[in-house]
Amino acid sequence: MIVRRLVDGVDERLDGTSFIRRNLGKVFPDHWSFMLGELALYSFVMLLLTGTFLSLFFVASPAETVYRGPYAPMQGSEVSLAYESVLRISFEVRAGLVMRQTHHWAALVFVASMTAHLVRVFFTGAFRKPRELSWIIGVTLLVAGIGGGFTGYSLPDDLLSGTGLRIIYSAVLSIPVVGTWLAYLFFGGEFPSAELIPRLFVMHILLIPALITGLLSAHLALVWHQTHTQFRPKGTPESSVTGTPVWPKFALKSVGLAFITFAVLAALGGLSQINPVWLYGPFVPYSAPSPAQPDFYAGWLEGILRLWPNWEFHVFGHTIGELFLPAVVIPGIIFTALALWPFIEARAKHDTAVHHDAQRPRDEPVRSGIGAAGIAFFVLLMLAGSNDVLAKYLQVEVDTLNGVLKVLLFVVPVLVYAITWWICRDLHARDSAPIAHPPRVEFRRNAEGGFDEHHDEARSRGDVAATQGDREQP
Amino acid sequence: MAATANTEARLLSRVLRVGLAVAVLGQIAWSFRPEPSSAQSDQQIQGRALYEANCSTCHALDAGGTVNGPSLLEVGPAAVDFMLATGRMPLANPNDQPERGQPKFTSEQIDALIAYVGSIAPGGEPIPTVDTSAGDLALGAQVFLNNCAGCHGAGASGDSVGGGQIAPSIYPASPTEIGEAVRIGPGVMPRFGPETIDQRDLDSLAAYLVWIRDNGDDGGLQLGRVGAVAEGLVAVVVGLGILIVVLRLTGAKR
Amino acid sequence: MKRDERVVAAALGVSILAALTLFVVYVRGGNPQAEGALLALALGGVGIGLLVWAKRLMPHIRDETQPRSKTAPATEADREAAVETMESGVEEIRRRRFLSRMLIGAAGALGLAALIPIRSLGRSPGDSLVHTKWTPGARLVTAEGTPVTESTLETGSFTTVFPEGFEGSADSQAVLIRVEPDQLQLPPDRIAGAPDGLVAYSKICTHAGCPLGLYLAATHELRCPCHQSTFDVLDGARPVYGPAPKPLPQLPIEIADDGSLRALGDFSDPVGPGFWEQA
Repeated sequence: MIVRRLVDGVDERLDGTSFIRRNLGKVFPDHWSFMLGELALYSFVMLLLTGTFLSLFFVASPAETVYRGPYAPMQGSEVSLAYESVLRISFEVRAGLVMRQTHHWAALVFVASMTAHLVRVFFTGAFRKPRELSWIIGVTLLVAGIGGGFTGYSLPDDLLSGTGLRIIYSAVLSIPVVGTWLAYLFFGGEFPSAELIPRLFVMHILLIPALITGLLSAHLALVWHQTHTQFRPKGTPESSVTGTPVWPKFALKSVGLAFITFAVLAALGGLSQINPVWLYGPFVPYSAPSPAQPDFYAGWLEGILRLWPNWEFHVFGHTIGELFLPAVVIPGIIFTALALWPFIEARAKHDTAVHHDAQRPRDEPVRSGIGAAGIAFFVLLMLAGSNDVLAKYLQVEVDTLNGVLKVLLFVVPVLVYAITWWICRDLHARDSAPIAHPPRVEFRRNAEGGFDEHHDEARSRGDVAATQGDREQP
Repeated sequence: MAATANTEARLLSRVLRVGLAVAVLGQIAWSFRPEPSSAQSDQQIQGRALYEANCSTCHALDAGGTVNGPSLLEVGPAAVDFMLATGRMPLANPNDQPERGQPKFTSEQIDALIAYVGSIAPGGEPIPTVDTSAGDLALGAQVFLNNCAGCHGAGASGDSVGGGQIAPSIYPASPTEIGEAVRIGPGVMPRFGPETIDQRDLDSLAAYLVWIRDNGDDGGLQLGRVGAVAEGLVAVVVGLGILIVVLRLTGAKR
Repeated sequence: MKRDERVVAAALGVSILAALTLFVVYVRGGNPQAEGALLALALGGVGIGLLVWAKRLMPHIRDETQPRSKTAPATEADREAAVETMESGVEEIRRRRFLSRMLIGAAGALGLAALIPIRSLGRSPGDSLVHTKWTPGARLVTAEGTPVTESTLETGSFTTVFPEGFEGSADSQAVLIRVEPDQLQLPPDRIAGAPDGLVAYSKICTHAGCPLGLYLAATHELRCPCHQSTFDVLDGARPVYGPAPKPLPQLPIEIADDGSLRALGDFSDPVGPGFWEQA
């Protein structure tokens, strides 16, 4: 009865036609790989929940204080209020540490699942017209997610994150003409400035979450409005979509998935230590710990910085810093190319048609090859970004490892492209060719007691019906 | 608790050993006075035999060094003890990197070698006395983060430092070995004299390093204390991995 | 020009003037009342201009009656109509060329005035990146403020030093290393600043600005934990490996009569990674 009145009430107010029925009955294809984006969505929800809790205790101030909390090795040390509040969250606030660690793990899984989602969309061609806008919003979300992660990682004012900020400052500084001004405006003066933590805090808890929430809403509204792509079942037209109705099955599955995501993040948050800032110590500008890596989503950037040659350019009495190309230009090119990919591909293939079918990667050997090569490229860069840790475990020289990686960075993507292209083409050909039966050979006993080979041409043609027909004869 | 008792016992044995070594050296000096080549103590004879069998090939009979190994002149008891007690010496092959291992000699044999090397190559850094109970954890953390974490890692779990060298994990090191490493700077490590790391700093440093061996992992699994590399791997392989398995199990496959 | 048009033009003109004045006021140091009033004039001018424009200058665009419910997917004709609507609207505004130019001018002036508060975010770099706190005669002290003397370091040791009074200073941090004096291969004009095998370099990596935490005493190399740039301490901190493009600037020091170490001046070059204003 209540439901009835609710449904009527909404329908009467929102639309002349049945708004609720139309949307509740909307179907979504439920291929497993189409849910990767939901993982990102629910990681973000977890980030909002835990982040709200943390923001109640975090103090965004670089002001000095003396630590008097329970963590023995810091007692009596001069630390910033920001660092102190993070130790307080970790050791004094009830459930604080699990919240903090869940927040950090959620950030990593958020970016990881966005990346996995992007890879899925890429390999299935789901970015094609009319969904280019969704793709661009998605790439922007990835950048925003990385930005959110980096600003959050820097907030505790510990030694490790301070080192990361210093690198970003140096990258901004390297931009020609306006670099120094930009760096001073953004960082509030020469690094490290007292303005920094409050600014990062505002970006981390206001600007970036607002941007992500807005873009995410647009992203979801577009999927809802444009309908999801699918691997189309035989016998249905491309103008149709086959899947599970939102209510109740898809909704239950999706909410279930949300809780599984929360569960995994909470388990990680409680069981596995992440970013133990108490071990890193408070930020001082004259120390740096080692190994010094950023969170994994910036690992490829770290890799570029470690491998890039020591080129510094001097033009008209000015200096273009070494970092400008690897830290500003290259990432800019990569993200621009990524965002424009739907248009690049459409132009290359002269494809102006509207597509609603998800493709199988094997059906597009060139795109799949480029995608696989790209993944190989990023993985190699991430290995380069963790070269000192790798060298320790592999018992090799870091410098040798760097040399090898520099070569592999050019060789492996080409090889991966070729192999992927070849496998895709092969699989594609196998799919589209009629099922070929091997020539059939019979061995028949002859009068002498030996065997003769008998080749049966009719049976070798692969005509299944014919073969079955033959068998029925006695 | 057992570890602490063990450490203390080891510390005590070090102190005794240093005392013994001093006594022995005194006795040697005394016995050398009339006729340098005669009347060597048993320890001296044992040390000489061990030295000639295990060390002299590379470091030379007079400890002056050869192309295969550096001179031991002025290295001092701290260096000899550190290298032998941590199993870094003797090397099977002079081109190998000295790495921590099972000590090849008993502590009695090591004392004999220290005494013998001290007799043919006097001077150098004495074995430092390290008293963790006199140290302050907070000071130790500060000394560690400002002087050691750059190479050995903020979690003291070690890291590679280039040139094929690895700053090893400090967990297996005893307080005395930590003190010896600080004072002598083994391998590529710089040495820190009492002017930069004084006795109180040293006691505190050792106290902190003993402490973080078993503490500081309030957050759960320590993941090798290598930071973001391990964390990223866990997030992608375990976190995203489990979730993708769940998707595969609950979603359509075609 | 009709009266209504003059009103719009005047409103937009006031807006432009107010925005430009605001810009000037801001650059000259600012005044809260003037800023508020001018901002109100600049914004209000555009508001009034647009309202009067719409109300008085578009009498020929009349109200229409439309069905409420949503319609079927757009046809080709619908799309044409949409384009037509959009373009005719733009044309209606552009038709009054003077006013539309005024509008663009007002938007530009407002943008300029709105942009300048960004200047509040940071101070001018000036030459702050070129200088550090080191001055001739400054005593070398540790992070805790303990003065460093000629006997502090043994050969093979290093420590981090600051100018007295600026302990922990980010740009002035230097690493002081003692090596065998005859091993140093500095140029003649710089050897004097490294007495008795004591040599000091900026501790900030010239690649990305990380503090150089690793000193490999056996090979006399300073190494950066961030991206593994490696500098040869004996050879003027020349980069020998990794992405760092420049040597570490040297801090010339002397041993004073009382045995303390003092700076002879600032670093030989600007410290840290490269930036545009650097020669």
